[in-house]
Amino acid sequence: MKTVRFSVYRFDPSSDKKERYATYEVPYKTGMTVLDGLLYIKERLDHTLAIRYSCRMGICGSCGMTVNGLPRLACYTQVKEVGWSLKVEPLRNHPHVRDLVTNFDEFFKKHKSVKPWLVRTDSREQESPTSQYLQSDAELEKYIQFSYCISCGLCYSACPVVSSLPEFPGPQALALLYRYLADSRDQSRSERLKIVDEAVGIWRCHFAGSCSQVCPKGVDPALAIQLLRREMMRG
Amino acid sequence: MREKNVMLLHYLSGVGILIFGGIHLFTVFFTRPLGETVWETTLLFEGHQFAILEVYRNMLLASSLWFLLLFTTFHGLNGLRVILIELFPNRAVRSATRYVLLFLGFALMVYGTRTIVIAHMIR
Ligand code: FES
Repeated sequence: MKTVRFSVYRFDPSSDKKERYATYEVPYKTGMTVLDGLLYIKERLDHTLAIRYSCRMGICGSCGMTVNGLPRLACYTQVKEVGWSLKVEPLRNHPHVRDLVTNFDEFFKKHKSVKPWLVRTDSREQESPTSQYLQSDAELEKYIQFSYCISCGLCYSACPVVSSLPEFPGPQALALLYRYLADSRDQSRSERLKIVDEAVGIWRCHFAGSCSQVCPKGVDPALAIQLLRREMMRG
Repeated sequence: MREKNVMLLHYLSGVGILIFGGIHLFTVFFTRPLGETVWETTLLFEGHQFAILEVYRNMLLASSLWFLLLFTTFHGLNGLRVILIELFPNRAVRSATRYVLLFLGFALMVYGTRTIVIAHMIR
């Protein structure tokens, strides 16, 4: 039977002094994902392995990890796609918790800072709308691709600016800011434009483009950042 | 000043450097196609149209040098500020850097302007 070799990053700050890579041989099954392999390890080979996952179908965004050097969703990545020998590590740019688990507090703080919700000037209308807010296809087209973001943090992990400048909002927050700015139902344009117009804000993006390359949902945060910059220049 | 305005000035000063740097390069190097004699005169101190001092005496060329000084100072120092922000992600260092660079820019402009004005006035 064909087996897949998993070399998995192990480190528990409460007990270990040093990080290490544990190697496991996992029998291959057609359609096996990286998460399937890790769950096999956890169930049959080593119960102490810490991983985070939930939906197992690329929707919740909780199983992000670095597989063979690239940030990927473990449940969305076919073993066959990446090879028979896998090196699995935690996501970069997110503080480490244990084994493959990382902390998303800072990531979600930045996510929240861009006000990822629709803002109406009439708060009473916002709380209890009296009618529907219809949009044309063209209006929807402006932001639809950015609304596919599942906040998995892969783009944030791939961003070279976040790693050198931890205060940088990151591609996810910036793309989400553009998503609401471009929505015809939103009425807080000027406030939104000010949020990331800081010394360590949107202008520090270098357009490495790695965020767009690793997004499992096909969102293009680098494009959103370009469009957001254009909107900022327009004022 | 808002960061977007600083960056807008950064981009505009970059374009300015291309334009005024182009004029500067023309008066220094690219006169060669106009003939060997013209080219030779750019190396002289004075006495010919493109000689060093004549460039400063010509109001238009002297102003273009001043604009080149302004744009390179702003563009260069702002570029340095951006690099330092990324090298030292610390708020205290960031604000200290801003004041040091502002002072440096001011000093460069004063010294450069003085040089251009003096050269312009030498008779
Ligand atoms: S487990 Fe939900 S996205 Fe992978």
